[in-house]
Amino acid sequence: MNWTEEFLIFITAGLISAAVCITGYHVPAGDAFLGCFIIVGITLLGIVLAKILPGNLPMVFWVSILAIAATTPISPVAAIVTEYTTKVDFLALCTVVLSYAGLTIGKDIGMFRQMSWRIIIVALAVYTGTFFFATLIAQIMLHLEGII
Amino acid sequence: MVSEWIGVKKIPLGPGVLLFLPMLYAMVLGAIISLPKLKLLNDHEMKHSTAVLGLLTMLLVTKLGVVIGPSLAKVAEAGMALSIQELGHFTGTVIIGLPIAIALGLGRESVGATFSIDREPNIAIIAEKYGLSSPEGRGVMAIYICGTVFGAIWIGLIAGFLAAMHIFHPFALAMGSGVGSGSMMAAATGAIATVFPEYKQEILMYAGASNLLTTIVGIYFCLFISLPLTNYFYKKLTPILAPKHVKDGESK
Repeated sequence: MNWTEEFLIFITAGLISAAVCITGYHVPAGDAFLGCFIIVGITLLGIVLAKILPGNLPMVFWVSILAIAATTPISPVAAIVTEYTTKVDFLALCTVVLSYAGLTIGKDIGMFRQMSWRIIIVALAVYTGTFFFATLIAQIMLHLEGII
Repeated sequence: MVSEWIGVKKIPLGPGVLLFLPMLYAMVLGAIISLPKLKLLNDHEMKHSTAVLGLLTMLLVTKLGVVIGPSLAKVAEAGMALSIQELGHFTGTVIIGLPIAIALGLGRESVGATFSIDREPNIAIIAEKYGLSSPEGRGVMAIYICGTVFGAIWIGLIAGFLAAMHIFHPFALAMGSGVGSGSMMAAATGAIATVFPEYKQEILMYAGASNLLTTIVGIYFCLFISLPLTNYFYKKLTPILAPKHVKDGESK
């Protein structure tokens, strides 16, 4: 995948996210487009950083650092970035990304059909385990620290 | 690729029946479009879609980042809880998954299958140590495929279910959501935020921070702690749960 392609993908995703915000969450069109534009911008910048900076750190790292840095109280653009990005509902973005996740399923469905029921049970156990135990420990820890 | 989006766009208008959220509909619809039988997508587009998904989950990461930013101090306050609950993420898969896998008669596959949640970075670890055509490699790939097919849907349902039971605090559930896969975290967080709309910002904040930790620390933790631990328990548990396997010399 080359740069232009990646760029176009994000522009499309941004436009669709904005459309979802407007139709599904009744956000004014201007705010929705600006919010999505900022999110796409930060994401693209993070990906570029991950590619050009040394250290071979994962994209997730740079993208989150950039997004967090842009909105910490010390950032000069914090107010404007926060104002517009809060208008873009997380669930709206989820809908867009998960619908895409759905599109990738077809590729694996053939192999999936050939698998035994045993491995499916194991998979369910694995996902339940990681979620449940982390939640359990978080609950205990948050309680001990008096946060909840 | 662009045209596929059109059908999906209007989904948020659909009513969210309890915990079956619009985004899960969207995912199922996407899946239907991608079914090989319908021939709506060709092979090239299919392969492409996986790469695109990897990029698009970055949008979620950004959104979570801008939620964390303004309240960085608050996240830091819960730093202890955040760090320690990661142990749950890394060991939870082994604690529940491994005994079940062994009891169901999986051999060395169970090690690959349950040492982590088996997303891309974890596959890389197994590929390097055992190779992907080894039993461990088959295990990790099988769970990976399951994850793609129903991981997000399952986590979304489980999260919604646990949230609706009101046993756990939404913050704890949020931290639990950061399992280290963008789409699974999105599904879980969405479900929890729907049950506790009044805590939405905090839920996103904690889930995002937790997911970030899981992703970054995860590679090292899995390589140096989870995998040896899984191997150790595999040796200990196999004679108890699947005595037949030991007699066969573990070669199945």
